[in-house]
Amino acid sequence: MSGYKETARQESCFRPGSTLCPGCMESVAFQNIGRVTDNGVKTIFTIGTSCAEVSTLAFPNVVAWGRGDDSPDDFAKSFSILHNVFESAPTLAEATRDVADQLTSIGALDRKIQVISASGDGGAFSIGLRTLLHTIHRRARVTIVVLVNEIFANTGFQYSPATMPFADTSTTPAEGTPGNLNPPLDYIHLAIAAGAGMVAQLSPAHGKMFVKAIERSLEVEGTAVIFIPAPCISGWKFEDGQTVELALLGARSGVFPAFTWERGKGGTVKDCPQDASERPNITEFLGEQRRFGHLVGKDKVTGEVKVKPGQEENMEKLTAWVQSNVDRMYSLAAMK
Amino acid sequence: MSTTTAGPVSRVSTPSGERYDGVIDLARVKAAHVPYYPTREAVTADGNTAAALATLQMWRAILYPGFPITPSTKWIETVAAKVGAQKGTAKRVKLMEAEHAVADYMVGAAAACRDLIVSTATSSVGLDHMTETTRSLGASGLGNVMIIDVYRATANFPLCIEGDPSDALAHRDDGFIQICARGKQQIYDTVIQAPVLGMHADVMTPTMPGYYGIKDSHRNAKFWVEADSAIHAFQDKWIKECALPGTINGDTAMGNCVTSRHFQGFKVAQKRRIERALELLPEIGADFEKTFGRPGLAYFDEVGFKGDEPVDVVVVSMGPDFGTFESIRGEWSARNNTSTAGLAMRLINPFPREAVRKRLANAKVVLVVNQAHHSGRGHLTLDIADALAGLDKQPRIVSAFAGMGGADVSESTWEVMLDEGRDAITKAPRQPYMVFHEGARL
Ligand SMILES: Cc1ncc(C[n+]2csc(CCOP(=O)(O)OP(=O)(O)O)c2C)c(N)n1
Ligand code: SF4
Repeated sequence: MSGYKETARQESCFRPGSTLCPGCMESVAFQNIGRVTDNGVKTIFTIGTSCAEVSTLAFPNVVAWGRGDDSPDDFAKSFSILHNVFESAPTLAEATRDVADQLTSIGALDRKIQVISASGDGGAFSIGLRTLLHTIHRRARVTIVVLVNEIFANTGFQYSPATMPFADTSTTPAEGTPGNLNPPLDYIHLAIAAGAGMVAQLSPAHGKMFVKAIERSLEVEGTAVIFIPAPCISGWKFEDGQTVELALLGARSGVFPAFTWERGKGGTVKDCPQDASERPNITEFLGEQRRFGHLVGKDKVTGEVKVKPGQEENMEKLTAWVQSNVDRMYSLAAMK
Repeated sequence: MSTTTAGPVSRVSTPSGERYDGVIDLARVKAAHVPYYPTREAVTADGNTAAALATLQMWRAILYPGFPITPSTKWIETVAAKVGAQKGTAKRVKLMEAEHAVADYMVGAAAACRDLIVSTATSSVGLDHMTETTRSLGASGLGNVMIIDVYRATANFPLCIEGDPSDALAHRDDGFIQICARGKQQIYDTVIQAPVLGMHADVMTPTMPGYYGIKDSHRNAKFWVEADSAIHAFQDKWIKECALPGTINGDTAMGNCVTSRHFQGFKVAQKRRIERALELLPEIGADFEKTFGRPGLAYFDEVGFKGDEPVDVVVVSMGPDFGTFESIRGEWSARNNTSTAGLAMRLINPFPREAVRKRLANAKVVLVVNQAHHSGRGHLTLDIADALAGLDKQPRIVSAFAGMGGADVSESTWEVMLDEGRDAITKAPRQPYMVFHEGARL
């Protein structure tokens, strides 16, 4: 395992030129994962249809993947990426892993291969829940990353099973309604229950932790699943430059606490105390995003975020959901 | 993870990215194959077993994803049993959670190493369940994928397991090379030859050999199983190392999101590759015959033609019921003073239009027997009409539906259909298509 500084100097397999929105957390995540995987082992990515795919793998526009301006001489730095359909990234990764392992066991491949699957939360939790859980259940030795922006961004910001309560999405519009009323799927628990070897919920806003988790995911027994909270500038409707701030606020206020867990060892919740009084108020997180503009508003003079009149009950429900979310993370961390 | 060092690797630039030669040692994959049949042997078994043995004997096949569905289930069971029983095998069976996952898995595995053959078997709604990915696969260039389709009606309402070919025919636009086999020997032989065609550098198109469920999948017959070494020699003569990189030995991107002009070019190339299969298929078939002494791949099996002599009624159909026609043909012809011949279609995608047109040009009537539900006059009927279009002297087409839902096409059903064919020599058929069942025109 290399240090954080060394990792920062490694060559990322995610290159400039993608058409992801400026400030998209997905590109920050790929930059980091790209660097961590420059570790002397050949890297293969599989990717589901999503913003992350259509904006990075467009031909003949820039394919924003690969190390160096040209294919590297060093095979270990070479990089391949495979897209098939919306939901299949984990299965593609598993198949790639199996071929590599099978060839290795025959003695026909003596170089190491690391395989990473990337999907959005729509791809992983709605249409692709089957493939996600079964790849985990079969203990495929791959890293699965899920970029959780809580919406189907690529098709225009529709509700996904990861959408948090009261969020405005294009299919749960908050005009005359409170927005989304479904609590999100407990995907962290599902991944643990399906048999994952390692589960984390971390964004690159927690830089060192994130890099360490990705490094660990490449070594761990069985399937490693990293859920990456991914503030979406266009879907969450916030201002340029706030991506990392929102990722930190969301984690600290209890919406998506930083969490790492390993089978047999248990886990930890970091940077998000269980006691609500020790956490930033959830309104700080909500107030920066226009997807919650029906719930809260910022005082133009003081900058204070206030619950809008008539929304007190919904706000209470949301606060209760956040607490239950934090409690749930602590109880998951206690599991071995 | 530590850095690995290994043997020398050389870089080769290809239109699809860099290929690193020397990363995968195929000779070792071949050497790891433990033969199932060291010598040629006669075996009595059903069609699924015949197909399973053929896939097991290929050294390039080391991973077998599957999911059970009647009538194809015995394929994966047989593969699993044989792999499980073989000490030191390099092969592995992978039971997936759904057919869609099987198809996705095949994409991942076939893309990982384009020199391996990745095969499975399915039927009916299993094939339907794969559709999203089979349509991607059809265009993918992954000719090392082979889906064995054990024909079964594509209906769950009402649910049935009968073996009519509506699954195969509904999936002709998926883009696979589809070859119908009848009889255990032909099933075995077709499965051996299909990847040879699909993996050819000019073709690079996945294949879908198929045979009728129940009628062929579940009934036993004797057939010859060749020695594994003979199969390897035949396949190795044709299958060259893939010039394009896979995900393991490449620096490449596959399945990109392409902008319109490039997508259009991509689709044109897909069409061209499958057209090339039409040219190569008879060559592979002829070489198979020379090697093993049995007919190899062909556009169709034919019976009753005497050179280019005119024929009163030519039957066009597919599958094992064609055998019933063959058995009554002589007696019916003599009794009706009507000459007959027949084509049992083998290549159903791409449709061998030119060859069919040539063979049918001297027919007075073509009786087309369709066995699958179709929105119009029948899948085969439309293809035959298309093949015959523009001939100076057009044979009259009689379109029949028989054996739908997997019914046996009995001798009496064949006779009433042939009677309609005979009558059409002198007058137009009474309906654009007719439905026959249990010896009667309905
Ligand atoms: C079978 C299928 N259904 C629908 C779509 C349309 N589609 C493409 S991407 C997408 C949403 C992706 O959402 P998510 O996985 O959350 O990724 P994001 O774009 O938010 O990063 C949808 C619905 C598709 N490609 N395939
Ligand atoms: S829409 Fe959202 S997820 Fe998609 S590229 Fe923009 S910021 Fe990223």
